Amino acid sequence: MTCDASTADDLAVLLAERDAEALLFRRAGASLTAAHFLRDVQRVAAGLPEADHCLNLCQDRYAFTVALAAAALRGQVSLLSSDRSAASLAGLNGRFERVIAVSEAPAADIPLRHHVLALPHDPVAGTPPNPLIPADRLVAIVFTSGSTGTPVGYRKTWGAITERSRAAGLRFGMLAAAPAGVVGTVPPQHMYGFETTILLPLHAMAASWSGPAFYPIDIRDALLAMPAPRVLVTTPLQIRALLDNGMALPPLQAVISATAPLDPVLAAAAEQHWAAPVLEIFGATEVGSIASRRTVAGPAWTTYDGIRLLQAGTEQVLIAAPHAEPHPLADRVEALSPVEFRLLGRNADMVKLGGRRASLGGLNAILLSLPGVEDGVFIAPDDLDQRPGARLLVFAVAPGLSADDILSALRERIEPVFLPRRVIRLGALPRNEAGKIPRAALLDLLAPDAGPR
Amino acid sequence: MAPSNLEQDIARLIVESLQLEVDPAAIDPDAPLFRTGLGLDSIDALELALAISRRYGIELRADDEQNGKIFASLRALAGYIGTHQK
Repeated sequence: MTCDASTADDLAVLLAERDAEALLFRRAGASLTAAHFLRDVQRVAAGLPEADHCLNLCQDRYAFTVALAAAALRGQVSLLSSDRSAASLAGLNGRFERVIAVSEAPAADIPLRHHVLALPHDPVAGTPPNPLIPADRLVAIVFTSGSTGTPVGYRKTWGAITERSRAAGLRFGMLAAAPAGVVGTVPPQHMYGFETTILLPLHAMAASWSGPAFYPIDIRDALLAMPAPRVLVTTPLQIRALLDNGMALPPLQAVISATAPLDPVLAAAAEQHWAAPVLEIFGATEVGSIASRRTVAGPAWTTYDGIRLLQAGTEQVLIAAPHAEPHPLADRVEALSPVEFRLLGRNADMVKLGGRRASLGGLNAILLSLPGVEDGVFIAPDDLDQRPGARLLVFAVAPGLSADDILSALRERIEPVFLPRRVIRLGALPRNEAGKIPRAALLDLLAPDAGPR
Repeated sequence: MAPSNLEQDIARLIVESLQLEVDPAAIDPDAPLFRTGLGLDSIDALELALAISRRYGIELRADDEQNGKIFASLRALAGYIGTHQK
Protein backbone atom coordinates (compact mmCIF):
# COMPACT_ATOMS: atom_id res chain seq x y z
CA MET A 1 0.00 0.00 0.00
CA THR A 2 1.39 3.40 -0.88
CA CYS A 3 1.47 5.73 2.09
CA ASP A 4 0.68 8.82 0.14
CA ALA A 5 -2.14 8.41 -2.36
CA SER A 6 -1.21 11.60 -4.23
CA THR A 7 1.66 11.58 -6.69
CA ALA A 8 3.96 14.40 -7.65
CA ASP A 9 1.70 15.17 -10.62
CA ASP A 10 -1.21 15.61 -8.23
CA LEU A 11 -3.01 12.60 -9.48
CA ALA A 12 -4.58 10.17 -7.05
CA VAL A 13 -5.19 6.51 -7.78
CA LEU A 14 -8.73 5.21 -7.92
CA LEU A 15 -7.83 2.30 -5.68
CA ALA A 16 -5.02 2.18 -3.12
CA GLU A 17 -2.54 -0.52 -4.07
CA ARG A 18 -4.21 -3.90 -3.54
CA ASP A 19 -3.86 -7.41 -4.85
CA ALA A 20 -6.20 -8.22 -7.72
CA GLU A 21 -8.03 -10.75 -5.54
CA ALA A 22 -8.30 -8.43 -2.50
CA LEU A 23 -11.88 -8.35 -1.22
CA LEU A 24 -13.51 -4.91 -1.53
CA PHE A 25 -17.19 -5.71 -1.07
CA ARG A 26 -19.29 -8.70 -0.18
CA ARG A 27 -22.97 -9.35 -0.52
CA ALA A 28 -25.06 -12.49 -0.07
CA GLY A 29 -23.42 -15.07 -2.32
CA ALA A 30 -20.80 -12.81 -3.92
CA SER A 31 -17.28 -11.64 -3.11
CA LEU A 32 -16.31 -8.59 -5.15
CA THR A 33 -12.58 -8.14 -5.52
CA ALA A 34 -10.31 -5.33 -6.70
CA ALA A 35 -10.19 -6.99 -10.14
CA HIS A 36 -14.00 -7.15 -10.36
CA PHE A 37 -14.22 -3.54 -9.33
CA LEU A 38 -11.66 -2.17 -11.80
CA ARG A 39 -13.23 -4.18 -14.61
CA ASP A 40 -16.79 -3.07 -13.76
CA VAL A 41 -15.72 0.58 -13.42
CA GLN A 42 -14.18 0.47 -16.89
CA ARG A 43 -17.27 -1.13 -18.40
CA VAL A 44 -19.79 1.12 -16.63
CA ALA A 45 -17.76 4.24 -17.47
CA ALA A 46 -17.92 3.32 -21.15
CA GLY A 47 -21.69 2.89 -20.99
CA LEU A 48 -22.67 6.02 -19.04
CA PRO A 49 -24.74 8.45 -21.11
CA GLU A 50 -23.28 11.89 -21.83
CA ALA A 51 -23.93 14.12 -18.81
CA ASP A 52 -22.33 16.65 -16.47
CA HIS A 53 -23.91 15.40 -13.26
CA CYS A 54 -24.71 11.88 -12.16
CA LEU A 55 -27.26 11.45 -9.36
CA ASN A 56 -26.20 8.22 -7.66
CA LEU A 57 -29.30 6.47 -6.33
CA CYS A 58 -27.70 3.02 -5.88
CA GLN A 59 -28.58 1.32 -2.61
CA ASP A 60 -26.22 -1.60 -3.12
CA ARG A 61 -22.85 -0.28 -1.95
CA TYR A 62 -20.80 -2.05 -4.60
CA ALA A 63 -22.99 -0.69 -7.39
CA PHE A 64 -22.84 2.74 -5.78
CA THR A 65 -19.03 2.65 -5.71
CA VAL A 66 -18.72 1.46 -9.30
CA ALA A 67 -21.05 4.26 -10.43
CA LEU A 68 -19.16 6.86 -8.41
CA ALA A 69 -15.79 5.80 -9.86
CA ALA A 70 -17.15 5.49 -13.41
CA ALA A 71 -18.65 8.98 -13.22
CA ALA A 72 -15.36 10.38 -11.86
CA LEU A 73 -13.44 8.83 -14.78
CA ARG A 74 -15.91 10.33 -17.23
CA GLY A 75 -15.61 13.76 -15.57
CA GLN A 76 -19.19 13.61 -14.29
CA VAL A 77 -19.89 15.00 -10.82
CA SER A 78 -21.80 12.56 -8.61
CA LEU A 79 -24.73 14.07 -6.73
CA LEU A 80 -25.45 12.38 -3.40
CA SER A 81 -28.79 13.08 -1.80
CA SER A 82 -30.43 11.16 1.04
CA ASP A 83 -33.78 12.64 0.06
CA ARG A 84 -35.26 10.45 -2.67
CA SER A 85 -38.62 12.20 -2.95
CA ALA A 86 -39.64 13.00 -6.51
CA ALA A 87 -39.93 16.70 -5.65
CA SER A 88 -36.38 16.82 -4.35
CA LEU A 89 -34.98 14.96 -7.38
CA ALA A 90 -36.85 17.24 -9.77
CA GLY A 91 -35.40 20.22 -7.86
CA LEU A 92 -31.85 18.96 -8.55
CA ASN A 93 -32.66 18.77 -12.23
CA GLY A 94 -33.49 22.47 -12.20
CA ARG A 95 -30.33 23.45 -10.33
CA PHE A 96 -27.75 21.43 -12.25
CA GLU A 97 -26.85 21.09 -15.91
CA ARG A 98 -27.33 17.81 -17.77
CA VAL A 99 -28.25 15.48 -14.92
CA ILE A 100 -28.68 11.74 -15.23
CA ALA A 101 -29.79 9.39 -12.46
CA VAL A 102 -28.16 5.98 -12.04
CA SER A 103 -29.31 3.00 -10.02
CA GLU A 104 -28.73 -0.74 -9.97
CA ALA A 105 -32.38 -1.58 -10.65
CA PRO A 106 -35.18 -0.03 -12.69
CA ALA A 107 -37.33 2.42 -10.72
CA ALA A 108 -40.62 4.01 -11.70
CA ASP A 109 -40.68 7.30 -9.82
CA ILE A 110 -37.51 9.07 -11.00
CA PRO A 111 -38.24 12.39 -12.74
CA LEU A 112 -34.83 12.41 -14.46
CA ARG A 113 -33.07 10.78 -17.39
CA HIS A 114 -32.38 7.39 -15.85
CA HIS A 115 -29.60 4.89 -16.54
CA VAL A 116 -29.73 1.39 -15.04
CA LEU A 117 -26.28 -0.05 -14.40
CA ALA A 118 -25.36 -3.35 -16.01
CA LEU A 119 -23.21 -5.32 -13.57
CA PRO A 120 -22.98 -8.91 -14.80
CA HIS A 121 -20.41 -10.19 -12.25
CA ASP A 122 -18.88 -12.60 -14.73
CA PRO A 123 -15.44 -14.08 -14.03
CA VAL A 124 -12.53 -11.69 -14.47
CA ALA A 125 -9.59 -12.44 -16.72
CA GLY A 126 -6.57 -10.31 -15.81
CA THR A 127 -6.63 -7.07 -13.88
CA PRO A 128 -7.49 -3.84 -15.66
CA PRO A 129 -5.25 -0.84 -14.92
CA ASN A 130 -5.82 1.21 -11.78
CA PRO A 131 -6.81 4.62 -13.16
CA LEU A 132 -5.39 7.93 -11.96
CA ILE A 133 -7.77 10.81 -11.30
CA PRO A 134 -6.62 14.44 -10.92
CA ALA A 135 -6.60 15.33 -7.20
CA ASP A 136 -8.37 18.62 -7.86
CA ARG A 137 -11.20 17.04 -9.90
CA LEU A 138 -14.63 17.75 -8.42
CA VAL A 139 -16.14 14.27 -8.07
CA ALA A 140 -19.08 14.64 -5.70
CA ILE A 141 -21.56 17.13 -4.33
CA VAL A 142 -23.10 15.89 -1.10
CA PHE A 143 -26.38 17.42 -0.02
CA THR A 144 -27.60 18.16 3.47
CA SER A 145 -31.27 18.52 3.99
CA GLY A 146 -31.83 21.78 5.75
CA SER A 147 -35.00 22.58 7.62
CA THR A 148 -35.76 25.36 5.22
CA GLY A 149 -36.43 23.36 2.10
CA THR A 150 -33.66 23.71 -0.46
CA PRO A 151 -30.84 21.21 0.14
CA VAL A 152 -27.33 22.68 0.35
CA GLY A 153 -24.60 20.92 -1.62
CA TYR A 154 -20.98 20.57 -0.50
CA ARG A 155 -18.28 20.00 -3.12
CA LYS A 156 -15.74 17.20 -2.71
CA THR A 157 -12.60 16.83 -4.82
CA TRP A 158 -11.00 13.45 -5.45
CA GLY A 159 -7.81 14.47 -3.63
CA ALA A 160 -9.70 15.62 -0.53
CA ILE A 161 -11.77 12.45 -0.19
CA THR A 162 -8.90 10.05 -0.87
CA GLU A 163 -6.65 11.78 1.70
CA ARG A 164 -9.46 11.72 4.24
CA SER A 165 -10.32 8.06 3.87
CA ARG A 166 -6.64 7.17 4.05
CA ALA A 167 -6.44 9.14 7.32
CA ALA A 168 -9.58 7.43 8.65
CA GLY A 169 -8.12 4.01 7.81
CA LEU A 170 -4.99 4.87 9.80
CA ARG A 171 -7.05 6.13 12.73
CA PHE A 172 -9.13 2.97 12.93
CA GLY A 173 -6.19 0.62 12.51
CA MET A 174 -7.26 -0.78 9.15
CA LEU A 175 -3.89 -2.25 8.32
CA ALA A 176 -2.64 -4.41 5.53
CA ALA A 177 -1.95 -7.32 7.88
CA ALA A 178 -5.62 -7.68 8.70
CA PRO A 179 -8.09 -5.95 6.38
CA ALA A 180 -11.22 -4.98 8.31
CA GLY A 181 -14.67 -6.35 7.47
CA VAL A 182 -16.92 -3.29 7.69
CA VAL A 183 -20.68 -3.49 8.09
CA GLY A 184 -22.38 -0.11 7.77
CA THR A 185 -25.99 0.71 8.61
CA VAL A 186 -26.02 4.22 7.11
CA PRO A 187 -26.95 4.87 3.45
CA PRO A 188 -24.06 5.53 1.04
CA GLN A 189 -25.63 8.89 0.07
CA HIS A 190 -25.18 10.18 3.63
CA MET A 191 -21.72 11.75 4.19
CA TYR A 192 -20.91 9.39 7.09
CA GLY A 193 -22.02 6.30 5.18
CA PHE A 194 -20.18 7.55 2.07
CA GLU A 195 -16.87 8.08 3.88
CA THR A 196 -16.96 4.81 5.81
CA THR A 197 -18.70 2.15 3.72
CA ILE A 198 -17.74 3.40 0.22
CA LEU A 199 -14.41 5.17 0.52
CA LEU A 200 -12.67 3.01 3.13
CA PRO A 201 -12.60 -0.05 0.82
CA LEU A 202 -10.95 2.12 -1.86
CA HIS A 203 -8.29 3.80 0.26
CA ALA A 204 -7.88 1.80 3.46
CA MET A 205 -7.44 -1.89 4.11
CA ALA A 206 -11.12 -2.64 4.45
CA ALA A 207 -13.93 -4.55 2.79
CA SER A 208 -17.52 -3.41 3.10
CA TRP A 209 -20.84 -5.25 3.30
CA SER A 210 -22.69 -4.28 0.14
CA GLY A 211 -26.26 -5.21 1.05
CA PRO A 212 -28.76 -3.67 3.43
CA ALA A 213 -28.17 -3.77 7.19
CA PHE A 214 -30.80 -1.99 9.21
CA TYR A 215 -32.62 -4.26 11.67
CA PRO A 216 -30.71 -6.26 14.32
CA ILE A 217 -30.95 -9.54 12.41
CA ASP A 218 -29.65 -7.89 9.19
CA ILE A 219 -26.68 -6.52 11.10
CA ARG A 220 -25.89 -9.91 12.63
CA ASP A 221 -26.12 -11.74 9.29
CA ALA A 222 -24.00 -9.11 7.53
CA LEU A 223 -21.32 -9.32 10.22
CA LEU A 224 -21.30 -13.12 9.94
CA ALA A 225 -20.75 -12.79 6.19
CA MET A 226 -17.74 -10.48 6.59
CA PRO A 227 -14.16 -11.54 7.40
CA ALA A 228 -12.71 -10.73 10.83
CA PRO A 229 -11.62 -8.33 12.25
CA ARG A 230 -15.16 -6.96 12.02
CA VAL A 231 -16.05 -3.30 12.46
CA LEU A 232 -19.65 -2.17 12.88
CA VAL A 233 -20.26 1.35 11.53
CA THR A 234 -23.55 2.54 12.89
CA THR A 235 -25.59 5.07 14.88
CA PRO A 236 -26.60 5.51 18.55
CA LEU A 237 -30.11 4.46 17.55
CA GLN A 238 -28.96 1.10 16.23
CA ILE A 239 -26.52 0.52 19.10
CA ARG A 240 -29.42 0.87 21.49
CA ALA A 241 -31.66 -1.33 19.32
CA LEU A 242 -29.02 -4.09 19.21
CA LEU A 243 -28.51 -3.97 22.98
CA ASP A 244 -32.28 -3.96 23.66
CA ASN A 245 -32.86 -6.80 21.22
CA GLY A 246 -30.06 -8.90 22.72
CA MET A 247 -29.13 -10.42 19.34
CA ALA A 248 -25.77 -12.23 19.67
CA LEU A 249 -23.17 -10.79 17.26
CA PRO A 250 -19.88 -12.32 16.13
CA PRO A 251 -16.77 -10.84 17.83
CA LEU A 252 -16.23 -7.17 16.94
CA GLN A 253 -12.92 -5.35 16.73
CA ALA A 254 -14.61 -1.97 17.11
CA VAL A 255 -17.96 -0.20 16.92
CA ILE A 256 -18.00 3.19 15.24
CA SER A 257 -20.85 5.62 15.82
CA ALA A 258 -21.89 8.94 14.30
CA THR A 259 -24.95 10.96 13.12
CA ALA A 260 -25.94 11.95 16.67
CA PRO A 261 -24.13 12.35 19.99
CA LEU A 262 -23.56 9.01 21.71
CA ASP A 263 -24.49 8.97 25.37
CA PRO A 264 -21.41 7.82 27.37
CA VAL A 265 -23.67 5.54 29.44
CA LEU A 266 -24.85 3.75 26.27
CA ALA A 267 -21.25 3.63 24.99
CA ALA A 268 -20.09 1.99 28.24
CA ALA A 269 -22.89 -0.59 28.07
CA ALA A 270 -21.99 -1.38 24.45
CA GLU A 271 -18.28 -1.73 25.25
CA GLN A 272 -19.08 -4.15 28.02
CA HIS A 273 -21.59 -6.16 25.99
CA TRP A 274 -19.39 -6.55 22.90
CA ALA A 275 -15.97 -6.42 24.61
CA ALA A 276 -14.88 -3.91 21.96
CA PRO A 277 -14.05 -0.20 21.96
CA VAL A 278 -16.87 2.12 20.91
CA LEU A 279 -15.48 5.01 18.88
CA GLU A 280 -17.29 8.12 17.75
CA ILE A 281 -16.56 10.02 14.56
CA PHE A 282 -16.96 13.78 14.58
CA GLY A 283 -17.91 15.26 11.26
CA ALA A 284 -20.35 17.28 9.22
CA THR A 285 -21.30 17.13 5.58
CA GLU A 286 -19.51 20.41 4.85
CA VAL A 287 -16.12 19.30 6.22
CA GLY A 288 -16.49 15.51 6.31
CA SER A 289 -15.23 13.35 9.15
CA ILE A 290 -12.40 15.17 10.91
CA ALA A 291 -11.86 13.60 14.33
CA SER A 292 -12.68 10.70 16.58
CA ARG A 293 -12.75 9.76 20.23
CA ARG A 294 -13.40 6.75 22.39
CA THR A 295 -16.61 7.93 24.03
CA VAL A 296 -15.94 6.41 27.45
CA ALA A 297 -12.45 7.97 27.61
CA GLY A 298 -13.69 11.54 27.92
CA PRO A 299 -14.76 14.60 25.97
CA ALA A 300 -11.60 15.30 23.94
CA TRP A 301 -11.65 14.62 20.19
CA THR A 302 -8.43 13.99 18.27
CA THR A 303 -8.28 15.09 14.65
CA TYR A 304 -7.35 12.70 11.87
CA ASP A 305 -3.81 12.68 10.55
CA GLY A 306 -3.26 15.83 8.47
CA ILE A 307 -6.21 17.80 9.88
CA ARG A 308 -5.60 20.87 12.02
CA LEU A 309 -7.73 23.40 13.84
CA LEU A 310 -7.17 27.06 13.05
CA GLN A 311 -8.47 29.54 15.58
CA ALA A 312 -10.05 32.52 13.85
CA GLY A 313 -11.19 35.01 16.47
CA THR A 314 -12.36 33.86 19.88
CA GLU A 315 -15.25 31.57 18.95
CA GLN A 316 -14.68 30.59 15.34
CA VAL A 317 -12.64 27.50 14.54
CA LEU A 318 -11.60 26.66 10.99
CA ILE A 319 -10.69 23.18 9.79
CA ALA A 320 -7.59 22.88 7.61
CA ALA A 321 -7.30 19.66 5.61
CA PRO A 322 -5.30 18.46 2.58
CA HIS A 323 -6.77 19.43 -0.83
CA ALA A 324 -9.52 21.54 0.76
CA GLU A 325 -10.05 25.20 1.57
CA PRO A 326 -10.11 25.98 5.33
CA HIS A 327 -13.75 25.69 6.39
CA PRO A 328 -15.49 27.05 9.49
CA LEU A 329 -16.99 24.50 11.86
CA ALA A 330 -20.70 24.91 12.56
CA ASP A 331 -20.38 23.46 16.06
CA ARG A 332 -19.02 25.46 18.99
CA VAL A 333 -15.73 23.89 20.03
CA GLU A 334 -12.78 24.72 22.24
CA ALA A 335 -9.41 23.91 20.65
CA LEU A 336 -7.24 22.18 23.27
CA SER A 337 -4.34 22.01 20.82
CA PRO A 338 -4.11 22.22 17.01
CA VAL A 339 -5.22 18.57 16.87
CA GLU A 340 -7.53 18.24 19.87
CA PHE A 341 -10.80 19.86 20.83
CA ARG A 342 -13.89 19.47 22.93
CA LEU A 343 -17.47 20.44 22.16
CA LEU A 344 -18.91 23.44 23.95
CA GLY A 345 -22.47 22.19 24.07
CA ARG A 346 -24.96 22.13 21.31
CA ASN A 347 -25.79 25.33 19.52
CA ALA A 348 -29.24 25.88 21.08
CA ASP A 349 -30.83 26.50 17.70
CA MET A 350 -29.50 23.38 15.98
CA VAL A 351 -30.94 19.90 16.39
CA LYS A 352 -29.59 16.70 14.92
CA LEU A 353 -31.94 13.78 14.43
CA GLY A 354 -31.51 10.67 12.34
CA GLY A 355 -28.29 12.08 10.89
CA ARG A 356 -29.97 15.26 9.71
CA ARG A 357 -29.53 18.74 11.03
CA ALA A 358 -32.15 21.45 11.28
CA SER A 359 -32.47 24.88 12.81
CA LEU A 360 -35.29 25.25 15.34
CA GLY A 361 -35.64 28.83 14.09
CA GLY A 362 -36.19 27.52 10.57
CA LEU A 363 -38.75 24.98 11.76
CA ASN A 364 -40.55 27.67 13.77
CA ALA A 365 -40.78 29.87 10.69
CA ILE A 366 -42.45 27.00 8.81
CA LEU A 367 -44.86 26.36 11.69
CA LEU A 368 -45.83 30.04 11.84
CA SER A 369 -46.40 30.12 8.09
CA LEU A 370 -49.18 27.50 8.29
CA PRO A 371 -52.68 28.89 7.69
CA GLY A 372 -54.55 28.89 11.00
CA VAL A 373 -51.46 28.84 13.23
CA GLU A 374 -51.40 32.09 15.22
CA ASP A 375 -48.38 31.32 17.34
CA GLY A 376 -46.20 28.31 17.88
CA VAL A 377 -42.79 26.92 18.66
CA PHE A 378 -40.75 23.73 18.22
CA ILE A 379 -39.07 22.50 21.40
CA ALA A 380 -36.25 19.96 21.69
CA PRO A 381 -36.67 17.78 24.79
CA ASP A 382 -33.90 18.05 27.41
CA ASP A 383 -32.70 14.52 26.76
CA LEU A 384 -32.55 14.89 22.96
CA ASP A 385 -28.84 14.07 22.88
CA GLN A 386 -29.06 11.18 25.34
CA ARG A 387 -32.05 9.32 23.98
CA PRO A 388 -31.73 7.86 20.49
CA GLY A 389 -35.13 8.09 18.89
CA ALA A 390 -36.08 11.26 20.79
CA ARG A 391 -38.31 13.63 18.83
CA LEU A 392 -39.29 17.27 18.85
CA LEU A 393 -42.44 18.74 20.39
CA VAL A 394 -44.64 21.49 19.05
CA PHE A 395 -46.65 23.95 21.10
CA ALA A 396 -49.16 25.83 18.98
CA VAL A 397 -51.94 28.36 19.24
CA ALA A 398 -54.33 27.43 16.44
CA PRO A 399 -57.97 27.67 17.52
CA GLY A 400 -59.43 26.25 14.31
CA LEU A 401 -57.02 23.36 13.85
CA SER A 402 -56.65 19.94 15.46
CA ALA A 403 -53.26 18.49 16.36
CA ASP A 404 -53.70 16.20 13.34
CA ASP A 405 -54.34 19.16 11.02
CA ILE A 406 -51.13 20.80 12.17
CA LEU A 407 -49.16 17.59 11.79
CA SER A 408 -50.53 16.98 8.30
CA ALA A 409 -49.60 20.49 7.21
CA LEU A 410 -46.09 20.15 8.64
CA ARG A 411 -45.66 16.79 6.93
CA GLU A 412 -45.86 18.45 3.54
CA ARG A 413 -43.16 20.96 4.43
CA ILE A 414 -40.52 19.37 6.64
CA GLU A 415 -38.60 16.12 6.74
CA PRO A 416 -40.21 13.28 8.68
CA VAL A 417 -37.54 13.07 11.41
CA PHE A 418 -38.26 16.63 12.44
CA LEU A 419 -42.02 16.14 12.69
CA PRO A 420 -43.14 16.63 16.28
CA ARG A 421 -44.11 13.52 18.20
CA ARG A 422 -46.59 15.59 20.18
CA VAL A 423 -48.51 18.68 19.16
CA ILE A 424 -49.75 20.49 22.26
CA ARG A 425 -52.43 23.07 21.53
CA LEU A 426 -52.62 26.06 23.87
CA GLY A 427 -54.76 29.17 24.22
CA ALA A 428 -51.59 31.26 24.33
CA LEU A 429 -47.88 30.64 24.58
CA PRO A 430 -46.31 31.68 27.88
CA ARG A 431 -44.23 34.52 26.42
CA ASN A 432 -42.28 36.66 28.87
CA GLU A 433 -42.06 40.45 28.89
CA ALA A 434 -39.43 40.44 26.19
CA GLY A 435 -41.75 38.39 23.97
CA LYS A 436 -39.53 35.31 24.32
CA ILE A 437 -40.90 31.93 25.20
CA PRO A 438 -39.10 30.38 28.18
CA ARG A 439 -38.50 26.74 27.34
CA ALA A 440 -38.90 25.68 30.95
CA ALA A 441 -42.36 27.24 31.17
CA LEU A 442 -43.49 25.16 28.17
CA LEU A 443 -41.96 21.93 29.39
CA ASP A 444 -43.73 22.50 32.74
CA LEU A 445 -47.01 22.36 30.87
CA LEU A 446 -46.37 18.79 29.77
CA ALA A 447 -48.09 15.94 31.50
CA PRO A 448 -45.87 13.96 33.87
CA ASP A 449 -45.92 11.05 31.42
CA ALA A 450 -43.69 12.97 29.03
CA GLY A 451 -40.49 11.52 30.48
CA PRO A 452 -38.11 9.13 28.74
CA ARG A 453 -39.42 5.74 27.78
CA MET B 1 -64.17 -5.00 7.71
CA ALA B 2 -63.84 -4.69 11.49
CA PRO B 3 -60.31 -4.93 12.90
CA SER B 4 -59.31 -8.38 14.18
CA ASN B 5 -58.06 -8.99 17.70
CA LEU B 6 -54.50 -9.22 16.41
CA GLU B 7 -54.92 -5.92 14.57
CA GLN B 8 -56.17 -4.26 17.75
CA ASP B 9 -53.27 -5.74 19.68
CA ILE B 10 -50.73 -4.46 17.15
CA ALA B 11 -52.40 -1.05 17.02
CA ARG B 12 -51.87 -0.74 20.78
CA LEU B 13 -48.27 -1.91 20.38
CA ILE B 14 -47.64 0.77 17.73
CA VAL B 15 -49.13 3.54 19.83
CA GLU B 16 -47.33 2.46 23.01
CA SER B 17 -43.92 1.76 21.52
CA LEU B 18 -43.86 4.95 19.43
CA GLN B 19 -45.63 7.11 22.01
CA LEU B 20 -48.14 8.31 19.45
CA GLU B 21 -50.88 10.70 20.42
CA VAL B 22 -53.63 8.69 18.75
CA ASP B 23 -56.30 6.32 19.97
CA PRO B 24 -55.29 2.79 18.86
CA ALA B 25 -58.92 2.12 17.91
CA ALA B 26 -58.81 5.12 15.57
CA ILE B 27 -56.04 3.69 13.36
CA ASP B 28 -57.54 2.78 10.01
CA PRO B 29 -56.42 -0.82 9.40
CA ASP B 30 -56.05 -0.14 5.67
CA ALA B 31 -54.26 3.24 5.86
CA PRO B 32 -50.48 3.43 5.24
CA LEU B 33 -48.32 3.39 8.38
CA PHE B 34 -45.34 5.19 6.83
CA ARG B 35 -44.99 8.60 5.18
CA THR B 36 -48.69 9.29 4.83
CA GLY B 37 -51.33 7.83 7.13
CA LEU B 38 -49.64 7.57 10.54
CA GLY B 39 -46.59 9.26 9.02
CA LEU B 40 -43.96 6.97 10.51
CA ASP B 41 -40.31 7.01 9.40
CA SER B 42 -37.21 4.80 9.59
CA ILE B 43 -36.51 5.60 13.25
CA ASP B 44 -40.03 4.40 14.02
CA ALA B 45 -39.49 1.31 11.87
CA LEU B 46 -36.52 0.29 14.03
CA GLU B 47 -38.46 0.99 17.23
CA LEU B 48 -41.48 -0.92 16.00
CA ALA B 49 -39.33 -3.86 14.87
CA LEU B 50 -37.91 -4.07 18.42
CA ALA B 51 -41.38 -4.07 19.93
CA ILE B 52 -42.54 -6.75 17.46
CA SER B 53 -39.50 -8.88 18.28
CA ARG B 54 -40.19 -8.60 22.01
CA ARG B 55 -43.89 -9.27 21.74
CA TYR B 56 -44.14 -11.83 18.94
CA GLY B 57 -40.59 -13.21 18.59
CA ILE B 58 -40.40 -12.16 14.93
CA GLU B 59 -37.30 -10.42 13.52
CA LEU B 60 -37.96 -8.10 10.59
CA ARG B 61 -35.37 -7.87 7.81
CA ALA B 62 -34.40 -4.96 5.56
CA ASP B 63 -33.58 -7.25 2.65
CA ASP B 64 -36.99 -8.88 2.71
CA GLU B 65 -38.64 -8.18 -0.64
CA GLN B 66 -41.89 -8.13 1.27
CA ASN B 67 -40.77 -5.37 3.65
CA GLY B 68 -42.65 -2.61 1.88
CA LYS B 69 -45.77 -4.74 1.89
CA ILE B 70 -45.40 -5.81 5.54
CA PHE B 71 -45.42 -2.20 6.71
CA ALA B 72 -48.01 -1.09 4.14
CA SER B 73 -50.84 -1.00 6.67
CA LEU B 74 -51.92 -2.28 10.06
CA ARG B 75 -53.82 -5.06 8.29
CA ALA B 76 -50.77 -6.10 6.26
CA LEU B 77 -48.55 -6.08 9.36
CA ALA B 78 -51.08 -8.16 11.29
CA GLY B 79 -51.27 -10.59 8.36
CA TYR B 80 -47.49 -11.01 8.37
CA ILE B 81 -47.24 -11.41 12.14
CA GLY B 82 -50.19 -13.82 12.15
CA THR B 83 -48.48 -16.16 9.70
CA HIS B 84 -44.95 -15.91 11.19
CA GLN B 85 -45.74 -15.95 14.90
CA LYS B 86 -43.94 -18.68 16.80
